[in-house]
Amino acid sequence: MPYPILDPTGTIAADREKSPPPRARRRANLHGATVGLLVNTKQNAAPFLDEVGRLLIDRHGAKGTIARTKVNFAAPAPEELVKEMAASCDVIITGIGDCGSCSASAVADGIVFEAAGLPAAAICSDAFKVTADAMAGLRGAPGYRYATTPHPVAVLTPDQVKERAAQVLGDVVALLTHA
Amino acid sequence: MTAIPNPEEAQAAIEYCYAQGWSDGLPLVPASQPLVDRFLATTTRSPEEVIGEIEQVGRDCTVYLAAVNAAMAGCLPGYFPVVLAAFDALMRERAARGGGWQSTSGPAPMIVVNGPVRHELGFNTAGGAFGPGFRPNATVARAIGLIVRNAFGIRPHVLEQATQGLPGRWSICLAENEEESPWPPFAADGGQPAGTSAVSATLLRTCEFVDNRHTPDPEQVLWDIADTVSRTGSLIFKETSAGVVFCPEHAQMLAEAGFSKRGVQEWLMEHCGRTGADLRRAGKNGLRGIARFADPDPRADDSFTRILPSPRHVPIVVAGARNAAISMVVRIFGEWSGTATPVGPLTAALEHPTTPLGVPS
Repeated sequence: MPYPILDPTGTIAADREKSPPPRARRRANLHGATVGLLVNTKQNAAPFLDEVGRLLIDRHGAKGTIARTKVNFAAPAPEELVKEMAASCDVIITGIGDCGSCSASAVADGIVFEAAGLPAAAICSDAFKVTADAMAGLRGAPGYRYATTPHPVAVLTPDQVKERAAQVLGDVVALLTHA
Repeated sequence: MTAIPNPEEAQAAIEYCYAQGWSDGLPLVPASQPLVDRFLATTTRSPEEVIGEIEQVGRDCTVYLAAVNAAMAGCLPGYFPVVLAAFDALMRERAARGGGWQSTSGPAPMIVVNGPVRHELGFNTAGGAFGPGFRPNATVARAIGLIVRNAFGIRPHVLEQATQGLPGRWSICLAENEEESPWPPFAADGGQPAGTSAVSATLLRTCEFVDNRHTPDPEQVLWDIADTVSRTGSLIFKETSAGVVFCPEHAQMLAEAGFSKRGVQEWLMEHCGRTGADLRRAGKNGLRGIARFADPDPRADDSFTRILPSPRHVPIVVAGARNAAISMVVRIFGEWSGTATPVGPLTAALEHPTTPLGVPS
């Protein structure tokens, strides 16, 4: 054949060979830890993460929580916000990944915080596992672990949100510690 | 030059493209360097120029990649300046730069072409405006879809999470029926002087027809359109955006009654909306920030909530045939940037008679 068929993707092999971003050292436990909550504005994300934070204080000895809101849920967390939270928190919880772009984004943020030295636990609705995994692959961290909660999240009542937070708590603790 | 192409070679090349995962489901034109070179010859822009970037997926699109995808979509080289202008216009949309391509709503670009380029390249400006049937309209829209899929790597079921998607995704490219429109061209609303070849674009969540051949009263037609614009199913935030693609008959009826485009927009801004009771019945009456939620409080039941905040939230285009009074409400995802992008000059390519351009002679 005189001419090859051109590749429309522009994928460069070098992109795939990037070394994986560093993963933060895990803590033995959460005693005395300041827990950063990165809330992505999706419906029920704030009460969900607040409840996870409350349970980490009550049941796992965390010192307190610092909640921040990511205004653009589709985009990566702004660098300044990452710096500020990395300086003031010991571990990070991001979520809730409950849409096409924000699930991927919650995982991408988790990977960024890991590289900044903070153990991170992203929480996604289980309907978005494929897109969350794809984003982890794009960020050079294939197989990146995160916590899931059953879909849907947006229509849960306040009591149901608390139940879900309690259900996912064990996975969040496991992601943040050696446990 | 082979007089009759070898069908088996063509089939093998098409299957090769499928096997690479490049296709949107329909056959692709296998792109070769000489073909792509003819696309690149229609623009003065460098092949390396980055024309769009999606930060969260870490991918960008260059002029070169856009040319490969446009060739694969079935565009003729001469369409390429329109593809570039359409892409530039789309990348001005906040939703398209953000998470729009990944969204569960699966939005469709709506591309609107104005000016002499419509006829120079053989765009359909008349009946069947939403397609199919016309190569420029069909392939320019498809090229955008292939760029999103291939250059940005946003593919269905993976980074693209459309719940149901919508009919018309990657196929809506209207050439405005300027000849039968009573109003200035749409590109003029986007800041381009009348007579300029220009492309405007936004993202849609759906299109909904309004068939009203029942009345000679233009205000009754507007009430009929307002009913569609105001349906609760499309409301998720405090405000919304809905355009109207008027058929020439409705547009002319309104213009004869003294309605300017601005007049129609203001009428719709004033009359589109729902009562608190309607919104509460659908669980959308409460507001937390800009997001709606089900608030059991009935105290606002008697209030009327307007939903279209500005004329830019009610873009108006005239398209289709002058053969029936059927217009289309186009439901906008996010909001239109309010800008149109001029099409680069076609002359460079036109001066080379060996270059296939526009409609085959």
